[in-house]
Amino acid sequence: MSKYLDLELLEIHNLLKNGKITPTDLVLEAFERVEEKKELNCFVTLDKEGALQRAKELEKEEIKGITYGIPIAIKDNIITKNLRTTASSKMLENFIPIYDADVVRKVKEAQMIVIGKTNMDEFAMGSSTQTSYFGPTKNPWNQNLVPGGSSGGSATVVSSRIVPLALGTDTGGSIRQPSSFCGIVGLKPTYGRVSRYGVIAFASSLDQVGPMTRTVYENAVVLNSICGKSDLDLTSVETKEDFTRLIGKDIHGMKLAIPKFYISDAIDSEIRENLQKVVSFLEKQGCTISYVDIDYIEQAVTLYQIIAMGEASSNLARYDGIRYGYRYENPKDMNDLYVKSRRFGFGDEVKRRIMVGSYLLSGENATTYYNKALEIRNEMKNSFQNVFREYDLIIGPTATTKAYSLGKDLDDAVKSFMDDILTIPVNMAGLPGMNLPIGFSNDHLPIGMQIIGNHFEEAKIYQLASFIEKELHLNLNPNEGDTNV
Amino acid sequence: MSNYMETIGTEVHVELKTNTKIFSSSKNGYGMMANSLTNVVDLGYPGTLPTLNKEVLNTAIRACHVLHCNIRKKMHFDRKNYFYPDNSKNYQITQATTPIGYDGYVEIEADGKKKKIEIEEIHIEEDTCKSAHRGSVTLLDFNRAGVPLIEIVTKPCIENSTEAKLYLEKLKELLFYADISDCKMEEGSMRCDANVSLRKKIEDPLGVKCEIKNIGSISNVKLAIEKEIERQSKILDDGETLVEQTRRFDDKLKDTVLMRVKETKNDYRYFPEPDIPYVVLTDAEIEKALESLPMLPEERRQRYLERNVSEVNISKIIANRPLSDFLNEFLDTSIDFSTATNLLLGDISFYLNKNEVTIKDTKLTNSKFIDLVNKLSNRTLTSKNIKDILDTILESEKEIDEIMKEKGISNITDTSVLESVVKKVIEDNPESVSDYKSGKDRAVKYLMGQIMKETKGSANPKMVNEILMQELNDNENSR
Repeated sequence: MSKYLDLELLEIHNLLKNGKITPTDLVLEAFERVEEKKELNCFVTLDKEGALQRAKELEKEEIKGITYGIPIAIKDNIITKNLRTTASSKMLENFIPIYDADVVRKVKEAQMIVIGKTNMDEFAMGSSTQTSYFGPTKNPWNQNLVPGGSSGGSATVVSSRIVPLALGTDTGGSIRQPSSFCGIVGLKPTYGRVSRYGVIAFASSLDQVGPMTRTVYENAVVLNSICGKSDLDLTSVETKEDFTRLIGKDIHGMKLAIPKFYISDAIDSEIRENLQKVVSFLEKQGCTISYVDIDYIEQAVTLYQIIAMGEASSNLARYDGIRYGYRYENPKDMNDLYVKSRRFGFGDEVKRRIMVGSYLLSGENATTYYNKALEIRNEMKNSFQNVFREYDLIIGPTATTKAYSLGKDLDDAVKSFMDDILTIPVNMAGLPGMNLPIGFSNDHLPIGMQIIGNHFEEAKIYQLASFIEKELHLNLNPNEGDTNV
Repeated sequence: MSNYMETIGTEVHVELKTNTKIFSSSKNGYGMMANSLTNVVDLGYPGTLPTLNKEVLNTAIRACHVLHCNIRKKMHFDRKNYFYPDNSKNYQITQATTPIGYDGYVEIEADGKKKKIEIEEIHIEEDTCKSAHRGSVTLLDFNRAGVPLIEIVTKPCIENSTEAKLYLEKLKELLFYADISDCKMEEGSMRCDANVSLRKKIEDPLGVKCEIKNIGSISNVKLAIEKEIERQSKILDDGETLVEQTRRFDDKLKDTVLMRVKETKNDYRYFPEPDIPYVVLTDAEIEKALESLPMLPEERRQRYLERNVSEVNISKIIANRPLSDFLNEFLDTSIDFSTATNLLLGDISFYLNKNEVTIKDTKLTNSKFIDLVNKLSNRTLTSKNIKDILDTILESEKEIDEIMKEKGISNITDTSVLESVVKKVIEDNPESVSDYKSGKDRAVKYLMGQIMKETKGSANPKMVNEILMQELNDNENSR
């Protein structure tokens, strides 16, 4: 069996350019790997026919760049024309869109080949990919463990080397936390960097699409393709730059900040130890590291719950069984149609969040909770800004734990948010944040660190990340055993 | 009529005349095939997002201006959450806390007294889709979903149904003239809700209010208010208590009927729309939006008055916007406006109505119109002539002089020529002159006929009559 998809993107690109292999070879190999890894349950929908057809078309096209012919997987809350898009919900089990999300259009324009839609927590609500209507995805490092979530399917397909690239979405950590659990590079870009048009909304003021890849360089390459202002998303921003431009540049003199909250006892000690090793290395390289306070950061989860659930309760109102999606058969009347379609179409976690969100926006609560949360969110944003006036980047752990057992904490609504206490503040402030694998636990599970930049300073994140990546030189392929422990 | 003081407030929804919808690129149109003007954004499909049509802001700015409202420079949109099949996202995007316009007024004149009807606010929002109930099913037409609306809310300062009617008429005229809306109540591009409450004396707090929804015409608004006052008065007279309710006007019954009793306050779970960033208007943008503002009725009235148009004709021509717009193209010329208005409202209107065309559909160029009005003013053409040649003027490219030549019209307008003809006829008909002197008015007619015969009908009758009377009277004095 060929192993082209284990090669680095540049190597694959050279083979394609020199006519040694074709996009069809890559697609066929990807689908062989899909079969091999079937038990991971990382896809909701596959499109072998469409992918092969696209590969054939591409073989007649001029090669525009490094992403030419590369298979990519798309999280299933990102709309794909003519390809079923479910958000892992029964509500959209049979929903086949007639339009593409902006990011999907861009991915196609950059000549990547969409091979399928990845599993996720239903409507991105969860952090373990266990709330999916289509069953949980399994962690490629240990199939008894969760891959994290909500972009667990995308993290798994990249980690298990089915495809080199995937897109995820991140509302409170949904790219970074599964990337940490699976040992891949995942970036949540600055809010507005990537168009949200065609991304099934969870919390509009927090959602952002981002690349999930094996390496830092490959991550920057995908971001190059998907960023930019869209006329269809008023919150998107025009930015044109090459995100790979600082990769390989020296980091001497870089000023880094670690929020004190990020090294508390709540964080798994193995994670803290791994982070400390990186910190020592960075100091040796001439970086200065300081410990800082960020206002309200310990309240971030509470603020997040108010804002995200409030927005979600409104965003998910459109799934009513009338125009598309699941529709309850033979309702008594209109109200019954609403109630039953939503009762049977949504899973428990989604319903829980809609109810809490509706309550939080109800009557006086809107002022007491939602508006107040927006105020405090602004304060926190300002506090981050103050840090970035003095420091280049903020670093810390991505998650409080490594990957945990399937089935754990599924019914503990509060606990599941605690997974995200280190990632949520980044969404609240609209900042870019990345998970970078930095080592393994004693039981050989990946451990990640988080690198957070100021607004629109992703390039600087890539600079630091690539430096650490090169130094650590980890073997992050779960298929190759524990040769690198 | 009633023992109570009436307090009335209105909420008027007006569809804006824009090319596209407020939050998507779908066309904004009326009377098209159901669901032909719609896209995935209007239908609230997953992942779709609203965009914001600049034309809507500009039109709303114009509305604020003509209704004397302050314009808010920094505003946002809000989501009003409620489930209803005509509401595709199950939330409506509106402006709950930062309406674009506030604290304005419309001036009306009731019984010769001027009164300002105060406007609380103007906010921008999207229209819902249209439902049609067919037996046991309801059909939805999303052509209307996302059509831009402004809602104009008055303070509860209207004191009777007549004031309400006058206010709505004035409002309609203003919005129509400012190119904000068609304001066609029959097509739903203008819709009115009225809030009515009663109290004993002015010192009392406002009474329990009832809302009457979606009334189909201005005269029905007046009627609905009167009926509602009647109903409420009776309840109060009977010593019963009113409950807050929503009613609608039934066109067949000519009365209001109960829709629902408001038991609890609606909970719309408003919050700021996160998909649309704050809108900030600059003075330059506001100025630019107002540049395209057409001349309003008040100014037209004033300008026409200055040009000696009669009050009756001013009212008539303002009621006919296309003719008034046409007339305005000549404000900078020296043509006689009184003649021009008579011509437009008389023979030209007759022609347009008969042929069911607008003035822009005819061959009447501006220079031809100027020529026509001037020829009428200086009597080169008579109104009799106009009746003969107007069709040709409006239907052919030919100049008026050419048409006159073809039809053999050459009116003698030279006074000295006419005088000599008149003198000749008087000399030739001494018996008629003596008849006239003995008081036989018939003689004048005869003499006129002789003069017209002499000039082969090309003399201006009015001028001839003037000269003839002058000559006859001079003749008398000289004897």
